[in-house]
Amino acid sequence: MTLTTLLKFNFKYYKRHSLLALLCLLGISLGVGIVVAVELINGSALKSFSSSIDFLSGKASHSVVSNYGKIEEDQFSKIWANPSVFAASPIIDVMGSTMETGQESIRFLGIDPFLDSPFRIWTPQESQELSFMEFLAGPVPSVYVSESLIRKYDLKLGDYLTVLTAGFEKKIKIVGVINSSVSGNLSERLIVMDIAAAQEVFGRIGRLDRIDIILKGDPVVFKETLPQGLTLADANSRKNTLSAMLYSFQLNLAAMSLLALFVGVFLIYNFSMFSVLSRREDMSLLLTLGSDRRSLVGAFLAESFLLGAAGSLIGVMFGYLVAFFSINMVSNTISQLYYQVNVGDVELSFQIILSGIAVGFIATLVGTTLPSLEVSVTPPVLGMKRQSIEDRVSSLKILLLCLGAILFGCSLICAWASRFSIFWGFTAAFGMTFAFALFTPSSLSGFVHHLGSFLKKVFNSLIGFLAARNIKASLSRTSIAVAALAVALAMTIGVDTMIHSFRSSVANWLDGSLQGDIYISPNTTKWDHPLPEDLLKKLANDPRVESIEKYSTFDILIDDKLAKLRVLESDILAGKAKFHFIQGSDDSWKELPKGAAFVSESLSFRFGVNVGDRVKVPTPQGLIEFPVVAVTRDYSSDQGTVQIDRNIYRKLWYDDRVQSIALFLKPGVTVDELKLSIMDEFKGLETTVVSNSEMREAVLAIFDKTFAPTATLKGVSLLVGLLGVATAMMAILMERSRDIRVLGYLGLTSWQLGRMNIYQGLIMGLSAFLVAAVCGTVLTYIIVHAINYRSFGWSIDIKLNPWVFLETFSLTMVACFASSIYPTFKLVRLRALPTLKEE
Amino acid sequence: MSELIRLEDVSKCYSSGPSCDIFPLLSVDLELEQGARMILLGKSGSGKSTFLNIVGGVDSPTSGKVFFDGKEITSMSPVDLAEYRRKQVGFIFQSFNLFPTLTVGENVMLPLELIGTNDTNRAKELLDAVGLVDSWKKFPELLSGGEQQRVAIARALVKNPKLILADEPTGNLDQETGSKILNLIDEVCSRRNATLIMVTHSQDALWIAPKHYRLKLGRLELENDNT
Repeated sequence: MTLTTLLKFNFKYYKRHSLLALLCLLGISLGVGIVVAVELINGSALKSFSSSIDFLSGKASHSVVSNYGKIEEDQFSKIWANPSVFAASPIIDVMGSTMETGQESIRFLGIDPFLDSPFRIWTPQESQELSFMEFLAGPVPSVYVSESLIRKYDLKLGDYLTVLTAGFEKKIKIVGVINSSVSGNLSERLIVMDIAAAQEVFGRIGRLDRIDIILKGDPVVFKETLPQGLTLADANSRKNTLSAMLYSFQLNLAAMSLLALFVGVFLIYNFSMFSVLSRREDMSLLLTLGSDRRSLVGAFLAESFLLGAAGSLIGVMFGYLVAFFSINMVSNTISQLYYQVNVGDVELSFQIILSGIAVGFIATLVGTTLPSLEVSVTPPVLGMKRQSIEDRVSSLKILLLCLGAILFGCSLICAWASRFSIFWGFTAAFGMTFAFALFTPSSLSGFVHHLGSFLKKVFNSLIGFLAARNIKASLSRTSIAVAALAVALAMTIGVDTMIHSFRSSVANWLDGSLQGDIYISPNTTKWDHPLPEDLLKKLANDPRVESIEKYSTFDILIDDKLAKLRVLESDILAGKAKFHFIQGSDDSWKELPKGAAFVSESLSFRFGVNVGDRVKVPTPQGLIEFPVVAVTRDYSSDQGTVQIDRNIYRKLWYDDRVQSIALFLKPGVTVDELKLSIMDEFKGLETTVVSNSEMREAVLAIFDKTFAPTATLKGVSLLVGLLGVATAMMAILMERSRDIRVLGYLGLTSWQLGRMNIYQGLIMGLSAFLVAAVCGTVLTYIIVHAINYRSFGWSIDIKLNPWVFLETFSLTMVACFASSIYPTFKLVRLRALPTLKEE
Repeated sequence: MSELIRLEDVSKCYSSGPSCDIFPLLSVDLELEQGARMILLGKSGSGKSTFLNIVGGVDSPTSGKVFFDGKEITSMSPVDLAEYRRKQVGFIFQSFNLFPTLTVGENVMLPLELIGTNDTNRAKELLDAVGLVDSWKKFPELLSGGEQQRVAIARALVKNPKLILADEPTGNLDQETGSKILNLIDEVCSRRNATLIMVTHSQDALWIAPKHYRLKLGRLELENDNT
């Protein structure tokens, strides 16, 4: 019998079972789609991130940056005068927002248009400029605006925007549209203004954020001539530093997609195995009729090749659509947490198409090869007996249980080894999930056996008993579907419990850190607008205010890696804040005014700094070593934070500017009363003055937004798992149609048969949930201790929330009920066929 | 003796279009009394299984009426028909059709549980009658074909049905085992005064019933009457 004949035979099978073919394609497509979507999102975010840096760097070969955040303006002339420098441009680079554009973060660049001309061309498009002179020295600070902003908010030349900076509402006027064909980046939300205007608007008079330069000499020699506290960074090193920040975030997203693919592969395997094994008797017959085993396997492989190709292509398109619709959500999260990116388009590259197709092919081939090989080596006579498959599965389940136990042990070792590399953390999570999947056949078999007897004895439910036994009778189908669903649910429980625990830890951290009644603070910690001094004076003299705690946070470089420096007033905070000390204690507060430092858990993890060690912090005086007296829990930045006392900062930095404050009110003063009077007097503080509870809510809102993308992946994984249940039930229906008809002959009504089928779905859901509840709890510990801690350096107190389990359980039961509706409909129709012929 | 089964002008047609193409049954009339036995003969596809299905309440005729114990079953609702099958009819199939997931005992108990009784003694009594009470906890796959058919007979009779419908019960068995099975059916039907309609191709099985009918082109013809 030729391969073509066999292929035709297989084609006819799918023609008769078109729904199965569709489900097969759906399984492959979903699995491939998730991987492609995450790859596209990660790729597009990185690309946009990289092109944003390229665009902003222009032709600069290097940038002079400060190790401790700010450059004094007078340093510029020294650098420009250096003979190694061909051109230099002072830059103010601020993230801000305007009232007209809402909460959207906009990059404000302050430049000297003459000094900057060798670097970038900001020239407005023809007929899109009012006056260059106005840009330079208009009565109102005048700006060029990127085309994307103009389009998005329907802005016009001559319009005014109100910039919200702490304590001020500053009007700026649009006098030109940046030529996007020159700038080459349409998606950048950008406003360019003269440097003097930018310094004034953003309260940075006398300061620069960086100096872009074109070097003609040796960078190494030039670097040695730089004043203390300044360093030289090339465009690539900036990119690398920022990319490193994104690494953990993207790694977690990729891991989620791989877990989803893991479930997808299960589904593909389930479908493929079902499609092969449901033709087991046909295959035996074909072998009996003279077909050879090689042709049979060849025909199935050719079939899986075609299915894999079609499913993968659909999957790539599906992935593109998912990426297209979720890119904004992810880019907002990245912007909020790390660096402003505006991801414009999702580009489908040949490489991504190829990798998506490869994933689909491998999964489909694995799914098809094993069962078709198994069937083809079975003697024809044995192959015609359906029971022989189940007998084999029954004997296999002990082997799988043993393999699962070995894998469980190996995963524990990997979890322990995660202290050396995060790779082992992910391996532990995957291994553990797979171990539980291997436990499923044995646990399912035992559970449904006892559940069936329990239902019959205690509830006198014969239908429940029959449903449970049907699941046991089709273990080869049901165990795979239950394992796939259990993996999806375990992932859901694991991630949800981690998120819940994380949220609760963040809330506790906020409770300990946020003790003030009112906070005057920029929207994000990245906006370093100092608060106006008259506001601080006014509040200090306000009789309603008991005390003011002043904060500032700056970016610093420790060992060429970005970190945060937070300046606080230890004498006020010591009595009020309740820090969670990982190392050290409340007594450590006494050491801060003496020049010691607290470091956050993340910094301690990233740089290996503990109590008793010293942390080297760049200051205008050079590198100063601060003795570390405490390691505190701090979720504000995964880059790590060094906290020092304001008096020490003032002495070393010659700076006393304040970025945010906490007000402690006198007894009897209401929060709203003071808040309103501040906002009334200082315009532009509407979004900056917040009560303790508003501050808390705002932080938790950012937290919730950060984890929003995981919900999509979770949903898709769950859908994939549930499709597995529906397929397994269809498989049971196809293979056990004879038993179902016999039940009809024995007097079961259609309603009873339908109920039996629904019970089957529900019992499968319950079984999957029970496996998932245990697996998910174990996964939570691995995610928290072996992945999250290794990725971000912060610990989380695990809290098992009964609501997470209850919600997952309810969702599973509802979805399993829904999954069983179509098979039940088919069953009732099957029951209507009266003949019970010799098949 | 009272009449148990009556078929009045029963016809069944299968159609692929608006008109009937195949008539497995055409104006069939029949009366069987309680305890009576009949053999149904006919070529493959002549409508023997359709006849059993209609009498057993699994299928409905295209026209005509079927009465059981004076009640018309052809006008019953699906729920009532299920109850009729549950209480009054015992089916014996050619391929045994035991549930592989249930033990021998559970297979025999199933019809009793369906009518709401949990009489294990009755199931054991039946299994004892067919000589398999020791196999109570065994799964069907561990039994021979003949033993499986004996379990199927026990399952058909455990609820004490008035009507037994057997569709080639010895078709999958060798001659010796088939003969034992026929003896068993004969014995249990006699003991319980059950009415038996048996479809068979085997000449060796004809002795079990005095009346032999043949289905030919949809018509039911009495071929032999040894009463």
